[in-house]
Amino acid sequence: MKSLEDISELLAIAWQGILSNRLRSALTVLGIVIGIASVITLLGIGQGAKLEAEKQVQSLGVNLIYVRPGAANLSSISQGQGSAATLTYDDAQAIRETCPAVEDVAAQYNSGFQAQYGEQNTSTSVVATEPSYVDIRNFYPAKGRFFSNTDMKEASRVCVLGETVANNLFGATGENPMRKQVLIRGELFEVIGVMEHKGVTQMMDMDDQIFIPLTTGYATLVGLNAVTGKQVKSILVRAKENEDLQAQFQITNLLRLRHNIQNPDSDDFTLRTQADIMQTAQSITGVFSLLLGATAGISLLVGGIGIMNIMLVSVTERTKEIGIRKAIGAKYSEILAQFVIEAVLMSLTGGILGIGLGVAGASALSQFANWKTDVTPASVVLSFCVSLAIGLFFGIYPARKAARLDPIIALRSE
Amino acid sequence: MTKEPETVIKLSEIVRTYNLSAEPVYALRGVSLEIKQGEYVAIMGTSGSGKSTLMNIIGCLDKPTSGTYTLDGQDITTRSDDELAAIRNRTIGFVFQQFNLLHSMTALQNVMLPLVYAKVPKVNRKVKAELALSELGLSSRMEHKPNELSGGQQQRVAIARAIVNSPRILLADEPTGALDSNTAREIMGLFNRLMEEGMTVIIVTHDPETASHAKRVIKVKDGLIQEDTL
Repeated sequence: MKSLEDISELLAIAWQGILSNRLRSALTVLGIVIGIASVITLLGIGQGAKLEAEKQVQSLGVNLIYVRPGAANLSSISQGQGSAATLTYDDAQAIRETCPAVEDVAAQYNSGFQAQYGEQNTSTSVVATEPSYVDIRNFYPAKGRFFSNTDMKEASRVCVLGETVANNLFGATGENPMRKQVLIRGELFEVIGVMEHKGVTQMMDMDDQIFIPLTTGYATLVGLNAVTGKQVKSILVRAKENEDLQAQFQITNLLRLRHNIQNPDSDDFTLRTQADIMQTAQSITGVFSLLLGATAGISLLVGGIGIMNIMLVSVTERTKEIGIRKAIGAKYSEILAQFVIEAVLMSLTGGILGIGLGVAGASALSQFANWKTDVTPASVVLSFCVSLAIGLFFGIYPARKAARLDPIIALRSE
Repeated sequence: MTKEPETVIKLSEIVRTYNLSAEPVYALRGVSLEIKQGEYVAIMGTSGSGKSTLMNIIGCLDKPTSGTYTLDGQDITTRSDDELAAIRNRTIGFVFQQFNLLHSMTALQNVMLPLVYAKVPKVNRKVKAELALSELGLSSRMEHKPNELSGGQQQRVAIARAIVNSPRILLADEPTGALDSNTAREIMGLFNRLMEEGMTVIIVTHDPETASHAKRVIKVKDGLIQEDTL
């Protein structure tokens, strides 16, 4: 069994075996087709979800650090974020002025309000923030402009609408939102811009927001807290290129100093970086992929057992044939090879068809169901190898059974 | 080829037992036998006489429990299963009562099968198989599947398969058992022709009519040779 001709010979013999019972072979192959196709498609979905999550995290902006009030853990009891109103606008200013690794800072205070224009009203999130927000978030107006430092200084009654909000308020009438007065909690704000489409990132609809200057927010919607001063809900920080770690270190130290914290366990603020968020997203999509893969793996296993089952039936049915072949000179290895190759041919055929079907299925899901899928070459190669392995693994036992048959007994069978 | 024909098969004190229960069952109790090149032998016996076991041992499908079997000058009692397979392939051609053709293959493919296992190159294979089929008058039936052929034609395909690899011995087990008497006579005529061409022909049968074609009749009873017309 060394030369190429011998191998093609064995392939031809095995192929004849497969063709001798077409329907049964086709159904057996179908089991593998379904298994491999689901592996390819489900891995594609998993990979697509992972890429999508990464893309969303990327779109939050580069080198982003979130500073939020409240401790993540206090003596191993989670206090929950925002459980303390400890972060102030002054903290944000201090970070901006004193941390050398920090490029830019945007404090923000957001809360839910009703916004109204004419007959239309919508419940949305009003974000009072600073002009630097757009650069940090990598999120810009599509129409008009974002508010300026002048707007901040003068606490202008201006607002920038998210895409969804603009549609909710102006979509029905088809009016141009620019220069219109929108009513938020009894106060009028002039629309000076509409943000570009951003979509949902981190389970937050970036388009369902209204942006106003932070100072305007304090003057009209939030009011000042006598104890804590100008409280903020979070501070967005963009670190300088490749200085994320320094920035985190500097911010942590600065805030501990300002808040008189000696024991790091009693930090009243939390830093989260893009890497943290990415990690969370990856671990979630990782579990997701694993579950999908396991499901597909089970169907593949069932397909493999189908091959073994059919090969066993085939060996029993073809006992006489095996006897004849042995009588006229087939060796153990030749009978073994015949049946193993038959199993491998079936599983490989199933594998190749399954890869085709899986790729088609994944692209159909992207096309029609709008799911992000990504079939990697690695998953194709993996599927191919797995189908080869299944044929070998589930084919070897029936083939051994065939090759070990006593020719006399085999010849006598009907 | 003027010399005394050489001995092809030499069995001495062949014993074959089956250990089905505590007491071994004797199928052959010590058979000694010589068959020379070009002989036409019929082995006769009733069912249970041991003739099938004798045939299986001569055909290298079975190994004796004791005794020695020399085939073509080689002691084959100690050979492995794979070596026996190679010997069957090269030295022995089998013809069975039920023809034993592979139904998914054409007549030509069936005849080519021993050549596949003999590792004969593909080109030669087809030529040899076509030649064997033509010799047996089946040139127009090569692409037919066995179920498209009559019983006599199927048996002729089986004979073509048996002789295609030019074996020393043709071993036929009840070759006419499934055929009508006219066809049976025709098949026996073929064996005669093969014998005249120099092949050693051994027919195993319980039918005296079939055995009467042979030059030498060996009768087996209770695992022993009862009569040998040599």
